[in-house]
Amino acid sequence: MSAMLLNKDKWPEFVGKLSGKVWVPKVEEGEAIRFGPLSGEESKLPEYCNTRVPPKEIVFPETETLYCFQADEHEMTAPEIDERKIIIGIRPCDARAMKIVEKLFRWDVDDPYYLKHRELVTLVGLACNAPGLNCFCTSVGGGPASTEGLDIIMFDLEDRYLLETITEKGEALLKEVEGLLEEAGQDVLAQKEKLIEAAENKISRSVDTEGIAEGLPGLWEDPLWKRVSASCLGCGTCTYLCPTCHCFDIQDETEGFEARRYRTWDSCMFEEYTRHASGHNPRPTRRERTRNRINHKYSYYVDKFDLIACVGCGRCINYCPVNIDIVEILRQVKEAL
Amino acid sequence: MDLEQLRKTAAEVVAKDDVKYLIGWKKGTYGYRVSPVFIENEADTEDLIFSPLCTANLVTYLTLVEKPPLPRGQKPDTRKVALMVKGCDSRAVAQILVEKGIEREQIIVIGCPCPGVIDVNLLVAKYPEVAENTELKWSGEDFVLIRGGEEIPVKREEVLAEKCRLCRYPNPVVSDIMIGEPVKPWQTEEDTGVSELEGKNVAERWEYWEEQFARCIRCYSCRNVCPLCYCEDCILDRLNPTWINRAVNFSENTAFHIARAFHLAGRCVECGECERVCPVKIPLGRLNRKLAREVRDNYGFEPGLDPDGKPFQASYKPDDPEDFIL
Repeated sequence: MSAMLLNKDKWPEFVGKLSGKVWVPKVEEGEAIRFGPLSGEESKLPEYCNTRVPPKEIVFPETETLYCFQADEHEMTAPEIDERKIIIGIRPCDARAMKIVEKLFRWDVDDPYYLKHRELVTLVGLACNAPGLNCFCTSVGGGPASTEGLDIIMFDLEDRYLLETITEKGEALLKEVEGLLEEAGQDVLAQKEKLIEAAENKISRSVDTEGIAEGLPGLWEDPLWKRVSASCLGCGTCTYLCPTCHCFDIQDETEGFEARRYRTWDSCMFEEYTRHASGHNPRPTRRERTRNRINHKYSYYVDKFDLIACVGCGRCINYCPVNIDIVEILRQVKEAL
Repeated sequence: MDLEQLRKTAAEVVAKDDVKYLIGWKKGTYGYRVSPVFIENEADTEDLIFSPLCTANLVTYLTLVEKPPLPRGQKPDTRKVALMVKGCDSRAVAQILVEKGIEREQIIVIGCPCPGVIDVNLLVAKYPEVAENTELKWSGEDFVLIRGGEEIPVKREEVLAEKCRLCRYPNPVVSDIMIGEPVKPWQTEEDTGVSELEGKNVAERWEYWEEQFARCIRCYSCRNVCPLCYCEDCILDRLNPTWINRAVNFSENTAFHIARAFHLAGRCVECGECERVCPVKIPLGRLNRKLAREVRDNYGFEPGLDPDGKPFQASYKPDDPEDFIL
């Protein structure tokens, strides 16, 4: 592992030398909405706590063609996935989420699409100096400088970045820009430790996960579900903005004889999500759907993969139109246990 | 507003046997957030608030009621629903009544004259620090932020929600019980968002909306929060036939937003909820207010003012302009 320093004024040169498409947080309507390819106009990373849409969409696109076919032929063609991408500025929680979700896409059968995208991305994370109001990563196994899933982690030291490599992929990437970097000394590493501690102290929200995974099944009929879902609108904001939510739907699209089969994000908060062909729906109301969202993250996934499928990024809390707050739900779960 | 009066009235309402619950606002779980609340017991009315933070429109809950199949022999709950409304919200109630989406005797409307609410993003940008027990109150024409015992005056124009800058109906147009005195309507600002787009040519406008719609993630929060998007079978959810494909791309997203805008033409009451909830900041208000402006300018019609009136599409006048007919 190496620890190198990059002066911020060398940023344009740094991103210009990397071999691969560089993706960074992009500002639209005055805010970092999502990651996008570098346009060449950016001389630095924007100010952001985190992007609204998580970078999961880079490895798990909202709509992805599985294969194309012709109605009158038997041939099918799958799209080529071959673009190398370097994601710079991904937050530790979102990189951890990719690692967590990968378990699912490797379980049972390997998902070639997800795994190919994942193989082709290099994740250059940016540790959080100032976590947001609703961040609670430290409660669910992460942290403002967690390196899980990352190839390189960067620390913002005002006029320069400290870059630490985590994987061989990360080492290889830094080799490409060797001339721009200088070795980091002990003083810088000490400064880094202080930054991490300060960031951790800024996290004000927390969840006590002790006993939740085992206890949730016993709360199946608890009145809390009705209470916490009463104001739910049934929209997909919480799940679509969630870096670990990974449900998808498969649809066909035809135009004349041309057709394609694609997958597209789906949300367990939608009414038709589990509606059967008969019309019967085992999750008939928002109560059952909300219960499923929490159970999936904090019980089923733990059961299957020994991991909580929530990284504490706070997006579902920040952007819920009606203040449905997962930290508060989990507090009530804990209380009911 | 006198909160004591509000809570006392609410307690009397929920105490009635024929009332299921009262929908109001309560303090949220963090920061400046306010949360909708469903109150069934008199004791819980203590949670009710009405402040400049109560931006959300609760009328959507009238039509969002779920009706799962009932066990054999069980009768549906037909008790009344009470809800708190601001001026803009009450227009949605009036419009749904016009459309016969709900029955008048099924609801109890608690009218709250509204001096204007805030855009929480503007407030957070200006005053990011939030302490325990932070409150925002009306103070004359402006607001006052009470934070950690300190009172900070907040200028109206700094944090006022866009819908309030354009608001012509701050007092509820339909109500059973009014809490507090009516407020005096204020001088509205020009809707620069719409005017600016009208000033562009077709190509420029297309480019503008292309950029906006391309960003849509199709979470449908705009549709679900809209009090007037209450079709039981929305064309977006239909698969047979598939009017709008599930694929998320500019073409399908545009079909979605245009379909929604047209379905709301002459019905949208400009409560601003679609724009408030959009997680990717699409200025949907501009689209819906443009159609509202067309309807107002061409036909002199404004929806959601008279609960006994006719819907726009059913209100023909002999002198209606018809120059758009080819």
